[in-house]
Amino acid sequence: MFGDVDVKLRSLTDTAGIFRRNDRDRLEDEMERIGIVFPQVFVAVYTGSVGEIANLRQFGFWLLNRGLFEDVPVEKPNEAGILIVIDPDSKAAGMTFGYLLDPFLAEQDTFDCLSRAHAYWLEGRYMDGVLKCLSQLRKLLRKRSRQARRDPERYEQKVATPVAVGDLVRKIREGNRPAVAQPEEGRGVER
Amino acid sequence: MDDGWMAGRLLLNFEGVSGEDEGEDLPSSIEDPTAEELADAPEDEREVGEEYLTAYFEAKPSGYLVDPQGLLGTREGKDLEAFLSHHAGDSSIDMYVYVFGVDQRIPSDVREEEIVERLYADGKPAAVIYYYVGAPQRSAMYLSPVITDAVSAAEQRRALESSVMQAFGSNIPSDQLEAFLVQMSIRIYWMERMAQGTAAETEESIPGGENGRSFTGVKVQEEVAETPSWMKRVGAVTAAVFGGLLVLWSAVAWWRGRVRFRFPEFEVEPRLGGSHAAGIGAVISFRNPAIPPAMQRKQVPDYMRRA
Repeated sequence: MFGDVDVKLRSLTDTAGIFRRNDRDRLEDEMERIGIVFPQVFVAVYTGSVGEIANLRQFGFWLLNRGLFEDVPVEKPNEAGILIVIDPDSKAAGMTFGYLLDPFLAEQDTFDCLSRAHAYWLEGRYMDGVLKCLSQLRKLLRKRSRQARRDPERYEQKVATPVAVGDLVRKIREGNRPAVAQPEEGRGVER
Repeated sequence: MDDGWMAGRLLLNFEGVSGEDEGEDLPSSIEDPTAEELADAPEDEREVGEEYLTAYFEAKPSGYLVDPQGLLGTREGKDLEAFLSHHAGDSSIDMYVYVFGVDQRIPSDVREEEIVERLYADGKPAAVIYYYVGAPQRSAMYLSPVITDAVSAAEQRRALESSVMQAFGSNIPSDQLEAFLVQMSIRIYWMERMAQGTAAETEESIPGGENGRSFTGVKVQEEVAETPSWMKRVGAVTAAVFGGLLVLWSAVAWWRGRVRFRFPEFEVEPRLGGSHAAGIGAVISFRNPAIPPAMQRKQVPDYMRRA
């Protein structure tokens, strides 16, 4: 839908031109600070017209998978990214995150972050909104990091691959199979 | 001189004449040990190299962190120096940290107490800490002579012990040093209070001048009565409490700024064909003020949620 080639962009890409230069510096500073406090994570903000609201979610998904963020250190892959997309035309914003944060963030968490910005975005104060959103995100990540350190199993279970039904059946069958033939063969080989 | 004549030489020579004969076989002077002999001598390789001793101990250091061997990284060193400067700005007791290697030893001819007495006797009181990177339990602390009497040896030991315990909260040497210094900064605040308390007591207990003057007339006694000692004490305690809180707050703020948060990395099975991400987060609309976020809560289709 959006193309199958990688796209080069900066972590702050203001295609819609909704941020002033000073604002951009402030926002970049804040994004950098998050990258320092959470050394595995980076934040990217994209503004531009996407079209319908439904497309915004797909666009975020596509951009985080296809984007090559030039100013992000190589040791931080897109798996560690949190992307905020703002479409000032359709007046909608979305948040997408990489696999690294999959166990620690839920849709509700991203919704809480975006909700903080809602009042500001209604008034067209995009910068203040994004900063509020990032501030909430920071608190949330700090909390999740502490929780994950205390109880990593809880989060590991969230992303654990479920055991396939076929494997389960095979295990049960193997457990119930009378173990007769194999030892006999073993003895035969020994002799 | 050896070949010359000297009066009474025979009498002064305890070994008698025969010794003189043997003396001809002996070398005229004691030779210096050879390089091989020196190499065989037991040499403690763990001792701090001689080339660093001057930088460590010759003069009072210009900075608060003394690391001529460069055992700490440049950035670490700068951070710690900044912290120690910050501490010095807030506290009436400076903190000087001499950094040594994990198993290094200060040569026996260097007396740490003497260094402190020589370099830190004048000027602002200081706590001098000899810290061994990676082995905080080997640390030692010495106070300037000015405050040694005010802070008991037990309190000094407690300060050191609690700082070492804080350091052991981490396995990373640089973090250990940071934790050690933050705790020590807090403990120095208590020492400061102690020192101030003692000063106040000294003023009261040895007011020789005031007592002496009190005999000279009533007026002097009245002047003394105008500023009661309890008020002085309250003032000193209040100032100390505020100062201490300020130090504590600065230390905590500095510490919080340095904290890094990490996440455990789990293997996540890729979904929806996304190689890097499939974390479908929320989307929020801000077109209509009549639709607050609360009304937009349920929005992600079920097929996009994790099973």
